[in-house]
Amino acid sequence: MALEIRDIVAGYTREVPILDGVNLKAEDGRVTVILGPNGAGKSTLLKAIYGYLTPQRGEVLHDGRSIVGLKPNDMLRQGIAYLIQGHSVFPRMTVEENLELGGWIMRGDHQRMHTALDSVYARFPRLKEKRRLLAGILSGGEQRMLEVARLTMTGPRTILLDEPSVGLMPRLVDEVYREIIKLKQERYTILIVDQNVKKSISIADYVYALALGRNRYEGPKEDFEKRLDDIVREWI
Amino acid sequence: MDFSLLLEPAILTEVLVQGLVRGAMYALMASGLSLIFGIMGVKNFSHGELFMLGTYAMFFVTVVLGWPWPLGIAFAALALFVFGMLLERTLIETLRRRAGRDWLLDAFILTIGMLVVMQNLALIIFGTERRGVTSLVDGVLVWGPVIVSYERLMVLAVASGVGLALWAFIRFSSLGKAIRAAAQDPDAAQTLGIDIRLVYTITFGIGAALAGLAGGLLISIYPAHPTVGFQPVIKSIACVILGGLGNVPGAIIAALLLGIIEAYSTFFMSAGWQNVVTAALVVIILIVRPSGLFSSSKVERA
Amino acid sequence: MKALEAASQLADVWQSRPARIIKIGLLIVLLIAVPPFLDNPYITRIFISAVMLGVMAAIYDLMIGYAGLINFGYAGFLAVGAYTSALGTFHYGVSPWIGLFTGGVATAFVGLLAGIISLRLRGLYVALLTFFVGEAIRFTISNLPDYTRGMLGLSVRPYPDILGIDFGRRDLIAYYYLLLVLASVIMGLMTWLVRSRYGLAFKAIREDQLATESLGLSATKYKLYNFTIASFLAGIMGAFYAHYLGILSPTPEEFGVYRTVEILTITYVGGRGTLWGSIFAGFLLVGFQEYFRGIGPWRLVIYGCLLIFVMLFARRGLSGLKKYVW
Repeated sequence: MALEIRDIVAGYTREVPILDGVNLKAEDGRVTVILGPNGAGKSTLLKAIYGYLTPQRGEVLHDGRSIVGLKPNDMLRQGIAYLIQGHSVFPRMTVEENLELGGWIMRGDHQRMHTALDSVYARFPRLKEKRRLLAGILSGGEQRMLEVARLTMTGPRTILLDEPSVGLMPRLVDEVYREIIKLKQERYTILIVDQNVKKSISIADYVYALALGRNRYEGPKEDFEKRLDDIVREWI
Repeated sequence: MDFSLLLEPAILTEVLVQGLVRGAMYALMASGLSLIFGIMGVKNFSHGELFMLGTYAMFFVTVVLGWPWPLGIAFAALALFVFGMLLERTLIETLRRRAGRDWLLDAFILTIGMLVVMQNLALIIFGTERRGVTSLVDGVLVWGPVIVSYERLMVLAVASGVGLALWAFIRFSSLGKAIRAAAQDPDAAQTLGIDIRLVYTITFGIGAALAGLAGGLLISIYPAHPTVGFQPVIKSIACVILGGLGNVPGAIIAALLLGIIEAYSTFFMSAGWQNVVTAALVVIILIVRPSGLFSSSKVERA
Repeated sequence: MKALEAASQLADVWQSRPARIIKIGLLIVLLIAVPPFLDNPYITRIFISAVMLGVMAAIYDLMIGYAGLINFGYAGFLAVGAYTSALGTFHYGVSPWIGLFTGGVATAFVGLLAGIISLRLRGLYVALLTFFVGEAIRFTISNLPDYTRGMLGLSVRPYPDILGIDFGRRDLIAYYYLLLVLASVIMGLMTWLVRSRYGLAFKAIREDQLATESLGLSATKYKLYNFTIASFLAGIMGAFYAHYLGILSPTPEEFGVYRTVEILTITYVGGRGTLWGSIFAGFLLVGFQEYFRGIGPWRLVIYGCLLIFVMLFARRGLSGLKKYVW
């Protein structure tokens, strides 16, 4: 089991827990999607996993080891990468500098850094062409591509994606999902939070739905697709 | 005021060279302030007191111990690096944790408190006596009509060298890249494994080291004294505004310009007016180009 | 358990409305009665300093505590009021009573200009710009010795008598009462202001400027109101202060950074956004300074530590203690 969350309670103040006992498992090499209405606690769950919030109760296990209490900047060393919501390229740095920062935790190991850069450039030839340009002048789609490429620099086992398609044009949304499918084919364990229900289910293996900080539903993609209309109607 | 003097090439170059040297001094002081502002957003009003501590460190090494002056400058920079990191970890970091969203205005007030404490502790420990050296390097360069002391040329050389080293560090070193990343998007930087707290602490340390280095280097012009930091900090703030808040190269260019403008205004007006000229210049720039002289991006309005 | 109940009942009584009126009344009586009762010029001087700096700090609080504006050239603004009034008397024979008003108007004008320039920008720009405005004012004063007498010092004429009462500096009690009247008017005005819809707008801007603007308020406009009104009041206090000093000179201690820091420390110790906290802090800090006059610079070290402590650990200042003692 790559990532397992047991009965987690967390929030920004003690009195108001946003997450009120959530359980979740993300299996190795699978895409797990978390759905839910606004305020269900989806993004908060990712933040709690990644150490931005310290859970008041509960356990987060990665590869069977507890990662509760680690700081966000320790997580990549545990093999967990996280794409935060919104733009996160460093706009006034070059594409290559962005990628190098993706490999920050292996900065002493030039050999490994070089190999990682080569493999990223092999996968994203467009980034190689533009590696000397400032990331801020790339198109929206290219910036997302750079963010995804940066995530994989250290070869993490698990990738958390927070709303990867939000705020993008429909054409770019497809592009982003194609990238995620590629990641899936490369056997990364992926946990996605998304508002885009149809798209995210189309690439999912297993689906969780949260409501008001608790588990509402879970099941394999096929079950979920059958009951999709019922579940979404509940949110409205 | 006799403007025909301006046409005299000897006077023109003389004033220009003096202005460049003065500008290099300001650049050195302003770069540390600008770095801290650019990376952390903190406007460190106690920068002048860090400068002051640098002058005392220099005095201690070169006069009390009698060691050669390059060691004194190195010691001033190193001591202030450690002290700056200590200040950041104990005070500024605590404020950032406790004050939340709008902590930057509070940080400004906090550094004012730091200023008051440091200045008066220095007064208690060292007294009001001025402690300096007449010069670190002797001799005068005569080059046609231009006469410059080697001391000033040394200042110019060291300031340029330090500026270049700082630029290369930020531009090429991996720590420099992490520092820039933290400034541009702290959240994203954290997800890549960069320890933001450590970056801030080191940044503040480097900024303080630059102040200390400036204090050590300029001891013959600004002898050690508890309130010696006041003029430097005002000039540094002026350069930081003129160059664009947090824009280190901009601040350095602004410093050179300000030095030259001041040299001319001192030459043609009585000396007291150069402070008015500086202040007026800053106010005018804030009116017409609030993002600074050398910034292409628009200033964030709020 | 019984004791706890009794204590909580006592606290209720202590904080009830009649008790509060009695407490306020008692404080007012103390303010009025202590100086003439002791009839000690030294004590009277401390009371004058405390009230004067307290009101100046409360005006500062109107800016920082209610609209999030840092005026870091505040002492320069006080200098505008002081010098406008004093120069009017000195060169043109204007009555010092009118000088209070002209000082206020001149400072309001400077505040308006500084506000127009800086208030559309982020908070830190306001601090930086006002700092340079303040310094420019101070340096200009010291560089015009023919008109202002610069560092030589400008002597200020005392207030002429009204109804036979001598407000001259020799009779400090009359001067002190005059200050109390002025302080009451200014504090009353500001209290009314922050409770009005303007005050509501100020506080909304301080909390969340974007959200406030989305409600259709022009944040810049209200900040400009705030800044101009505060400058007007600061100018009046500056003019009044000039007559207390007797001789004006543009030193950093009197009209520069040090004075600004002294006042803003009082504001922060009193608690931002409270107005009246500044008056209490004024007495506390002025009393403290006088008591420790003997220890020289240590006094300022403690002063600075206090400011740091308030910023880090007692972010509401004295007002954080209110529920225990008031």
